[in-house]
Amino acid sequence: MSFLRLQGIEKRYGTVSVINGVNLEAEKGEFVVFVGPSGCGKSTLLRMIAGLEEVSKGDVFIDDVRVTDVEPAKRQVSMVFQSYALFPHMSVRDNIAFGLKMAKVPRAEIDRQVNEAARILQMGPLLDRRPRQLSGGQRQRVAIGRAIVRHPKVFLFDEPLSNLDAELRAQMRVEIARLHEQLGVTMVYVTHDQVEAMTLADRIVVLRAGRVEQIGSPQELYEAPANIFVAGFIGSPKMNLLNAKVTGRSEAGIEVSHPALAAPLQVTGRRQSEGRAAPAVGEEVRLGVRPEHLMLGEGRNLIRLKADLAESLGGSTLIYGQTDSGETLSLQAAGRRMFGKGEAFTAGFNPADAYLFDKAGEAV
Amino acid sequence: MSPRVLGRILHGVALLLVFAITVFPFYWMVSSSFKTQTDLLASPPVWVFTPTLTNYADVFADEKVTRAVVNSLIVALCSTALSVVLGAPAAFALARYDFRGKSDLWFWFISNRFISPIVLALPIYILALQIGLLDTHLVLILVYITFILPIVVWITTDQFRSIPKELEEAARLEGASQFDIFWRIYLPLGIPGLAVSAIFGFIFSWNELLYALVLTRRDVQTAPVVATSFMSGYELPWGKIMATGTVIVLPVTIFALLVSRHMVRGLTMGATK
Repeated sequence: MSFLRLQGIEKRYGTVSVINGVNLEAEKGEFVVFVGPSGCGKSTLLRMIAGLEEVSKGDVFIDDVRVTDVEPAKRQVSMVFQSYALFPHMSVRDNIAFGLKMAKVPRAEIDRQVNEAARILQMGPLLDRRPRQLSGGQRQRVAIGRAIVRHPKVFLFDEPLSNLDAELRAQMRVEIARLHEQLGVTMVYVTHDQVEAMTLADRIVVLRAGRVEQIGSPQELYEAPANIFVAGFIGSPKMNLLNAKVTGRSEAGIEVSHPALAAPLQVTGRRQSEGRAAPAVGEEVRLGVRPEHLMLGEGRNLIRLKADLAESLGGSTLIYGQTDSGETLSLQAAGRRMFGKGEAFTAGFNPADAYLFDKAGEAV
Repeated sequence: MSPRVLGRILHGVALLLVFAITVFPFYWMVSSSFKTQTDLLASPPVWVFTPTLTNYADVFADEKVTRAVVNSLIVALCSTALSVVLGAPAAFALARYDFRGKSDLWFWFISNRFISPIVLALPIYILALQIGLLDTHLVLILVYITFILPIVVWITTDQFRSIPKELEEAARLEGASQFDIFWRIYLPLGIPGLAVSAIFGFIFSWNELLYALVLTRRDVQTAPVVATSFMSGYELPWGKIMATGTVIVLPVTIFALLVSRHMVRGLTMGATK
């Protein structure tokens, strides 16, 4: 039996349905990340686990106990809000101690716990300050401290890093990962940032329009996305997609052709086990290649391109080009490369790095 | 002269004019309180005179005045305190709960202020007479609460609404009860709004004349009533009336000047965030 279980969760506001039957099981100590574009229902789902939103249909189980109708405080979950939600009129110490006070924990025990949390998060000197005297990163830490002291069964994070600048975000990301390792608590983390999802998660749940598109480890989602949406969402820069046609099928895989390709290409399907019928000869498909897998002027499968723009990232260059049929591709090349607008070049890739999606957008 | 400079001068002149118009009655009251009856009634008015303190001596010697100030204090403090105690939970409910008739209730609170006070003076007088509350502190306190409570509810509800909902949710997750949330989160954070409405309430009760005049006779006359009570008989002791007026107005004026900055901030709090 899993530690956190969502079973057929639905959420409706009046006639508007925002979550449509989500099933999820997470093991104890697992780091689960909900990721998806804004409005996909990821925060709503998190808030339903917390008990801040009522569940319209389905059940939530935590540690084998059905908590669907249990009030938030009794679910033994802690939540870190996007806005941190620190109590502005209380010192850091009182903020962290709030839940323990509510639980009528003896004074000496509260002090011990608060000091312990301060030690873990390295914020001892800040204990007597007010939230407004703290920087964004420090506030974040207080919010986490408040969550830690209650020894929750599940930690919930609602886009906790989105208010921080890029540098601090990267730093806090590392700290959250360290904290997860240190505490070994089940964590559910909501973000729209796929980098956060990839780096933090044991398992990623990709959501779109209130539905689960795919659940899997970061590597699984990267290597075998279930559909075009997941393929586009995971990985940065985004996967390139070309309109191709199936020209043949064999034991070795599916043969596809594209006007910009000199010769047809043999692609091995990645998700044959799903039991979907492979596309027939003559059918339109989408051929996916990640920018990091395209190599300038190398490989057997060369695509003819005209340069649009080259963005230098210092150590590497992001090059945008167009095929003859007007499809835009991006590719990442090492070092500093200069391209004039309209300059012709070729890029190749290994067929093993290609992805295929059928007309419905499902991976082949 | 550039239009900018001209505009500034006009602006200054207009401000001075408004200032003069609003401050003049106040100046006249204060200066008159230091005049003898002869100077007071002089025509044309005397602008330069030898100040006298006899009026103030009269006022402080008059037991009626000192008792009236005490009455005013009792009534104003009690009505303000009760309005805050009753209004804060009402504002919390209006700000954070959804219930049937909420917007009607919300509007009803302020609609109480639409009625001209004099319309209700007689009915309330008769009511007070029948239940034997005439000439008591209680009746004034009760009537003033009906005026102050809507102000407290309106200002405080607005203030409470500006408190981010996540604070309440965080507190709920931490195990706080509804009362804890009200008492430990909303009340402390709502202090600016509560303070502003309390100040308004206090100034209102302190200055109120109509109901105090109608509902009191002797024992619980408030300061404004006593000030006007000198205006009976054949001779009008203007000096004493003005001195009494100054004694009444001075404390609230100083108080209002001291807190005006907070009042403005409290009133605009919900607007900007």
